[in-house]
Amino acid sequence: MSTAITQLNGSAATPTAARPRWRRLFRDNSVKGWVFMIPLIVVNVVVILVPSVSALYYSLTDWTGIGGAHFVGLANYAQMFSDADFANALWHNIIWTIFFLAVPMSMGLFGAYALSRLRRFALLFRVAFFIPYIVASVVSASIWRSLLSEDTGFGKILGINFLGERQWALGSVAFVNNWAWWGFLVVVFLASMQGISPTLYEAAALDGAGPSRQFFSITLPSIRPTFMFLGLMTIIWSFLSFDYVYILTQGGPAGSTEVLSTLLYREAFTNLHAGYASAIGVVMAAISGVVVAAYLWIRRTRDWDI
Amino acid sequence: MKRRELLTLSGAAGLGLVLPSCSTNSGTDSKSGPGKPSGKPIQYWTSFSSAKNQQYFKSHFMDAYRGSSKVLLTVKSTDSIDRLTQTALAAGKGPDIVLTPGPSQVAAYNDAGYLADLTSYSEKYKWKEKLASWALGASTIGGKLVSLPTSYESMAFYFNPQVLDKLKLIPPKSRAEFENFCQTAKGNGLVPLAAGNADWKGANEWHLTVMLNHYAGPKAVYSALKGQTPWTDPVFVDTVELLKGYFQKGWFGGSVDSYFTNQFPKVYKQLASGEAAGMISGTWEMASLPDYFGAAAKNTATWDWTTLPSLRDGVPEVVWDLGVGQSAGVNAKSPNVDGAVEYLNFLTTDVKTLTAAIEAISWQPTPLKLTGADFTAKADPRLKRLYTELPAAKSIGYTTWTFYPQETETYMIQEFEKVITNTTSSKDFCAGIQQKFAKELAAGKVPAAPTPTGLAS
Repeated sequence: MSTAITQLNGSAATPTAARPRWRRLFRDNSVKGWVFMIPLIVVNVVVILVPSVSALYYSLTDWTGIGGAHFVGLANYAQMFSDADFANALWHNIIWTIFFLAVPMSMGLFGAYALSRLRRFALLFRVAFFIPYIVASVVSASIWRSLLSEDTGFGKILGINFLGERQWALGSVAFVNNWAWWGFLVVVFLASMQGISPTLYEAAALDGAGPSRQFFSITLPSIRPTFMFLGLMTIIWSFLSFDYVYILTQGGPAGSTEVLSTLLYREAFTNLHAGYASAIGVVMAAISGVVVAAYLWIRRTRDWDI
Repeated sequence: MKRRELLTLSGAAGLGLVLPSCSTNSGTDSKSGPGKPSGKPIQYWTSFSSAKNQQYFKSHFMDAYRGSSKVLLTVKSTDSIDRLTQTALAAGKGPDIVLTPGPSQVAAYNDAGYLADLTSYSEKYKWKEKLASWALGASTIGGKLVSLPTSYESMAFYFNPQVLDKLKLIPPKSRAEFENFCQTAKGNGLVPLAAGNADWKGANEWHLTVMLNHYAGPKAVYSALKGQTPWTDPVFVDTVELLKGYFQKGWFGGSVDSYFTNQFPKVYKQLASGEAAGMISGTWEMASLPDYFGAAAKNTATWDWTTLPSLRDGVPEVVWDLGVGQSAGVNAKSPNVDGAVEYLNFLTTDVKTLTAAIEAISWQPTPLKLTGADFTAKADPRLKRLYTELPAAKSIGYTTWTFYPQETETYMIQEFEKVITNTTSSKDFCAGIQQKFAKELAAGKVPAAPTPTGLAS
């Protein structure tokens, strides 16, 4: 028994010597923070940093996606400048971005403002607007394919093949995507608007400002950081848009709905030009980088907060 | 690739049943019977077009297998199996038997060193005696046999006999008859040829394949595949121009716009209901059509098929377009290459199992030299006719997904839509084919093609 106690005491003596330094280290908040960050850092390195560096490397090769890769320098980037399909897809992305900056943002703002004024059924409308956002894109797209059909849907009534006619296809796909997207904007804008002090509206009303004047003079300036942030994300997401285009038209007919992400997918997995597809991915990331940099610059120069 | 993906896309009902099992990637192993399997188990990854086919495969191609090694089946989604296989192979893993979408991808796998050399097994299993030489030729790269065809197909003209009787039409055998057929059908308010590519853009190449083989002709195509005639030759430009004209007249799918949005179930329904007079597609459709005709669809409609018409003087009246829908090789890093080849041999050459599958589920067989005696009385006469006449073809054509190199093929699929929407001219389209093809020909990427004089020899 005494031996056991001695052993216990003895074994306890060794860590006691090390404990103060370890504890001191762990009490340092910055070290503690890094320890908690480790899992996140590992995940980010594995799923973001390594693939990003790999994509950058493969963009400089002729990799097919199968087997080895050979260094080709900037040939993939040079090819991009003369590739009519790339120019076509980039142009569609620009149209797509303008559409999503204009239509869903306006609808989201208007919807949120209207909802903020509702006294009854506000929650019901909020849920109704948000539901399309949580429905899987493949389900939404399939529903809308039927609704737009030239055999059974609006297409039959209006005599338009929305997804089959080149002049209608891109707008139709954007419309379907917008249907799923704008409800999300409503909910985010509404949350932001609810942070505005009601006294501002009361004062404005006393001064004779109507709803429209209140919106432009109080609501919009008050939610500007949210508005700017969603604008930034809309641009980034517009360049990443893939699912609705792929499900509804696969970039067709005749490339009329091709966007950069569907072109990238086609080049990587159909044409087996994984190196070229990586270069497209790098350019897409660069575009997003420029947008983020512009946003950060505006924030800094105008001293805006989110 | 074409067939496998098409079947999955078109088999809507079956797909719903298959997906749950695909999503879990559930592995099942064969009960290899009393033969006491001795080798390491064979990993086999595949996808199925329907739950019925999956069940049938498990019973007849796995449980009934009596080889030296157990087979472990993993079912993948059709959309992802190629990518999953590529990733696994790149990591030095993957299944023992490597399924590929066809000869063009086999070349890429072979270049990467993923496939074992099967040449020495050819003699052991007598593949030259059992399988069609053209298919073995298309599976041979640099003198090495690296894969075996696991399914083969041709193109056909489908029709609903009751509709043709009503319109007093017969299946066309010449260009004049073909154009009369389409004009009459259109004049009667019918879609002349049910068609659409909303589910599968690759449908574009089916029509190109047919026109190239039946208008330009097998000799011209063979010459181009050998690099002797450029694809910019007027005969090919005229071929594309003629097909473009047919599309713009609304003969394929009703209109160009409708062609882009027609899904396969609609196409089959149009043929069954009499809304369409005919359909030009692959012989793989014989597995899909029964669901839309007769008792299964609760109607009295029937379907039949015939060979495609000759569309130009000098082109043989009967040309069988040959295609390999799927090829399989053996993983070079397999720990049990012998066992894998043994199972591959069973999958591709067991006549009794394969003909039984044709009779039971319209299974697409390998290019075996089948005769009428191989079938039982239960066989569907339409399928029996196909698989006994095709091996005896006297004149053959070349499907784009089997005999054209990969980049040329994908170019044709993608750019053809621009031709029929007047965004690209037929001449520029052919110039694009020539540009892609010349590059791939120089790189030795064009699969070996048999002479157009037929298979009977």
